[in-house]
Amino acid sequence: MLAAAAVLAAAVLVFRLRPSDAPPPPTIQRGGQIVASVRAEPRSFNRFVSRDQVTELLTILTQGRLARINRATYELEPWLAEKWESSADGRTHTLHLRSGVTWSDGAPFTSADVLFSFQAVFDGKARSVIASSLTVGGQPIRARAPDPQTVVLTYAAPSGPGLRLLDNLPILPKHKLEAALAGGTFASAWNASTPPADIVGTGPFIVREYQPGQRVVLDRNPRYWRRAEDGSALPYLDRIVLEIIPEQNAELLRLQAGELDLTSSELRPEDYVPVREAEDQGRLRLIELGVGPDADAFWFCLKPEVKGKNPLFAVVQRREFRQAISHAVDRDAFVETVFLGAAVPAWGPVTPGNPQWFWPDVPRYAHDDELAGRLLDDLGLRKRDPSGVRKTAEGVEARFTVLTQRGIGWYERGAAVLRDELMRIGIVLDIVPLEFGALIERLLACDYDAVYYRPLATDLDPAGNLDFWLSSGSAHLWNIGQRTPASEWERRIDTLMLEQAASLDFERRLQQFNLVQQILAENVPVLYFAAPRLYYAHSPRLRGVVPTVQRPPVLWNADRLGVTR
Amino acid sequence: MIAFLARRLLFAFALVIVVSSSALLLTRLAPGDVTAQLGPFAPAAEVAGTRARFDLDRGAAEQWLRWSSRAARFDFGDSFLYNRPVRELLGGAAVNTAVLAAAALLVATALGIPLGMLSGSGGAGAGLIRGVSLVCLSAPPLLTSLLFVFLAATTRWFPAGGMTSVDALDGGWSTWLTDVAAHLPVPALALALPIAATFERLQAQSMAEALEQPFIVAAAARGVAPRDIIVRHAWRVSLRPICGVYGIAVGALLSGSFVVEFVTAWPGLGRLTYEALRARDIYLVAGCAAAGGAFLAAGSLVGDLLLAAADPRVREQGAP
Amino acid sequence: MTRAGRWLLGVVVVMAVAAPWLAPNPPDRSFADALYAPPTPVHVIDAGLRRPFIYERRLMSRLERRFEENVSRPIQLQWFTAGRLVTVPEAAGGPLLLLGADAFGRDIFSRLVYGARTSLALAVLATLAALVVGALIGGIAGYAGGRVDDLLSRLTEFVLVLPAMYVALALRAAMPLVLSPAAVFGLLLVIFALLGWPIVARGVRAIVASEREREYVAAGHALGAGPWRMLARHLLPSTVGYLAVQATLLLPAFVLAEATLSFVGLGFPDPVPTWGTMLQDAANVSLLGRAPWMLAPAAAIFVVVLGVNLVVQGRGRAPVQLEP
Repeated sequence: MLAAAAVLAAAVLVFRLRPSDAPPPPTIQRGGQIVASVRAEPRSFNRFVSRDQVTELLTILTQGRLARINRATYELEPWLAEKWESSADGRTHTLHLRSGVTWSDGAPFTSADVLFSFQAVFDGKARSVIASSLTVGGQPIRARAPDPQTVVLTYAAPSGPGLRLLDNLPILPKHKLEAALAGGTFASAWNASTPPADIVGTGPFIVREYQPGQRVVLDRNPRYWRRAEDGSALPYLDRIVLEIIPEQNAELLRLQAGELDLTSSELRPEDYVPVREAEDQGRLRLIELGVGPDADAFWFCLKPEVKGKNPLFAVVQRREFRQAISHAVDRDAFVETVFLGAAVPAWGPVTPGNPQWFWPDVPRYAHDDELAGRLLDDLGLRKRDPSGVRKTAEGVEARFTVLTQRGIGWYERGAAVLRDELMRIGIVLDIVPLEFGALIERLLACDYDAVYYRPLATDLDPAGNLDFWLSSGSAHLWNIGQRTPASEWERRIDTLMLEQAASLDFERRLQQFNLVQQILAENVPVLYFAAPRLYYAHSPRLRGVVPTVQRPPVLWNADRLGVTR
Repeated sequence: MIAFLARRLLFAFALVIVVSSSALLLTRLAPGDVTAQLGPFAPAAEVAGTRARFDLDRGAAEQWLRWSSRAARFDFGDSFLYNRPVRELLGGAAVNTAVLAAAALLVATALGIPLGMLSGSGGAGAGLIRGVSLVCLSAPPLLTSLLFVFLAATTRWFPAGGMTSVDALDGGWSTWLTDVAAHLPVPALALALPIAATFERLQAQSMAEALEQPFIVAAAARGVAPRDIIVRHAWRVSLRPICGVYGIAVGALLSGSFVVEFVTAWPGLGRLTYEALRARDIYLVAGCAAAGGAFLAAGSLVGDLLLAAADPRVREQGAP
Repeated sequence: MTRAGRWLLGVVVVMAVAAPWLAPNPPDRSFADALYAPPTPVHVIDAGLRRPFIYERRLMSRLERRFEENVSRPIQLQWFTAGRLVTVPEAAGGPLLLLGADAFGRDIFSRLVYGARTSLALAVLATLAALVVGALIGGIAGYAGGRVDDLLSRLTEFVLVLPAMYVALALRAAMPLVLSPAAVFGLLLVIFALLGWPIVARGVRAIVASEREREYVAAGHALGAGPWRMLARHLLPSTVGYLAVQATLLLPAFVLAEATLSFVGLGFPDPVPTWGTMLQDAANVSLLGRAPWMLAPAAAIFVVVLGVNLVVQGRGRAPVQLEP
């Protein structure tokens, strides 16, 4: 009996130990190259002067930050700074730099480079595009260096995101750029005509060659400081080639043909079928990244200075009007027809793709045409004649011009679905798809009735998106750049958001932000319908892929990518 | 002859100035400006800074004055998109486009004119040639380019895009040349086919007309061999309309085709122009327009010279 | 050959005129369950020969574009009902999608026949306008020579290199945001005529310039014929063949150019179908291989161009019998 039990236990043990049950940690071979595509040229190799996607990607590949937000876990990780201490009031942070780090040209990395980077961000002439993301309480972050391995940062006010702000700041080499900053040529330093050898960094790769209009070739940085868990040197890859392919169809063709290992962006819903077929044939790997962090948005211009004379403005300004529209849209059907089902219904700007800040209990408006009709009736917008179009008591038709961007399938489809949905409750929409430049001009001037568009949040942390939340913000979609809040609820959001951004207690920040989301949902200045589910494809020979819904979906982790031969 | 060339040069110069200036002013008139590229809701200070950098905060007339006085010193301003002087950008792109244009023109001429002679004189397969030409004319360039990229990607006979490959990075001149030659067929064919079809149709029509001319009919009656009639006599006369359009084709090819260059990722002028137009990159737009104007003037001159060479009657009359 | 061309064009014109009767569905109706649907197969055999019928179709997956026929439920095509030649109402298990559906779930065949109206009317009128203007300017330039020629030729070149996209954008900006289809039509007509004439003028000038050196022109002058008379009676007729070719070149170009201008905002509102925008929507590799029916407008353009070409460049044999 005892023996039998022992045999059984041994069998269980043996069974447990079978390798297929506990997969070995993935070992990635050193060497090899991958080819990735980007849609445009880099505008600069200097992230301080350009915010375009390619410059950002090149910065991730070639430069280091003091601390990095892991794009998959959303955790703040030590990077060039090895460890840090923060004071209790959250205003002073002492960072200890990693020792032994060198620039790719062999020069040692010290606190002087950090000080130089802060100086460059806030230099008056250089006009850095990242300055606003490193401003706390209206003041620049101040940095001083007691010794070459230590940096002390002082915030003018407590900051909710705290050191997470440092993810926005690539550290640039003082010895290469000092002269340019002093000479006032910092903005054009490190552009396409700079010899690649001058573009040094602390990132996993170095620029080997830039062939304008064609590609950027990045080679392994032999002096990269990071090591894998087993102590082997990173990055695994010898080379990353960024091919510039402006046209998305050609990009997909070259991915399918195996000329590319990965692309710059997620797949369009239409591309799902061919990529799925290619996966079945073993030519590609299709991955679902998850729900994207940005939802689509539909909003009316609520700027009284511009729209005050419009006879419909009195109605549009009432939250009941916007609530009625929210009730009239069947979000489940919207997801199906506009995104071919590859989306989830959305009720606010924060989607499940932002798990830290997403609030599932945000107020919702059930699809209910009758209720929508009653709300509109109460506002005096009634169906007064057989045309079925609602009119005000003065006889003005409820007719709005909706702008959207031309040439993007789901924008035009979404606007058309909206038109059909609102037609049923007696509101007429005229859809005008505009080309990007023309659309933006009208958006900024509030020269429109309504817009269907997908604004991208600049940061997952709400404190990084104050330009959207604050009534004075440049991305406060429905009424940009107000001097004083136009409504009571906008004032409340302002107060809550400023408090939230300066709070150190995450739980409290979360509570306050939930309240903000609730106020927004109750007043519906912007209507959200769906957040797309993102799909991505890469070649099957790629190893070490940790996908994320943030951009770049795979290359953020470039130092741990490898290929099979 | 020298006076003629000098006059044409002067005209070309005037054309370049007028075209680039109108491109600049039209860019101002079109809705939106380059600051949209900063992102839809960029901070106001950044937008204002960018406007100031490109003189967009000044009146259109003032901007034009400042731009043209700098252009007189060969400074055509900076590109926002590329963060570099426009002059540097145009040079490289123009060379790349010239390579592509030369290849495409060669293919179009070699295909279009002989086939047009064949179909115009009612030779074998005239109907088939006509049909293929019309297919080439009816297909949108976007679709034909995509089709060629698709074929190249699936058959692997040619690289599916780009102008060079990364493997040729360390090679010498000869490696570079063979590499470029391998990349040429896809964009060159996509570019050449509609032009070849145009040439074919024009040549067929004028060949048919030339064959009706009394001297041809007489030659046929004298018993001159048909092939000699077509090649020796009729062809020369039938070249006139082709010459008229040839110049435009040369000019248009040299200015680059944005669809073909965009889809096949060829780093040429057409793609540059398209990106500049889309982004309202004002000085780059003006620069590309200037290059386009110069090339068209050159192409039109070539066309006129060809016309004179093909038809002695025009030459005697005095143009060149 | 000419007769074949007339037949082709005749068929297309009848199609355009009879669009409301021929189209099984309204062209702007979106069927939410038919996004990217393939053509509905029309069957005649179901345990024996029957009148044409379709099976009810069920959507299995939108993302994967999978549809299945419900073979247990055949549905008769309805002929001559509700003012349509043939249709299957949605309530009865339709829609009948002869050429599948587009990204909005709209019937491509219905849009094709309706689109013939707008696209053809626009392209034909614009082609005529461009030919007339081009022939006049090119004729005057070639005939007058000297200064006039220089001036007109350089004007031609100027128009050729002007960034047309900006002209369109600037024009669009000066217009009200919402334009009626008629206003768009007029505007596009003017733009196409303005953009199209220079190419015509170049060729006409070349022909006239060499033609006027010929004996009969000198003879005409000697006989006292005025310049306008010479131009209209003798010189321009010699360009008719050239103009005919240009017509075949410009017509498809204009049909396609409508899509380009629609991209910069100078297009018809989306319920109005046009061949150009339909083709632009089809230019997506993920669709081309799997949904070739979306290329139907290209085939339609080809048929029209072939028809025009057969009519205007009619001859299929050489005028002189060269072959022994």
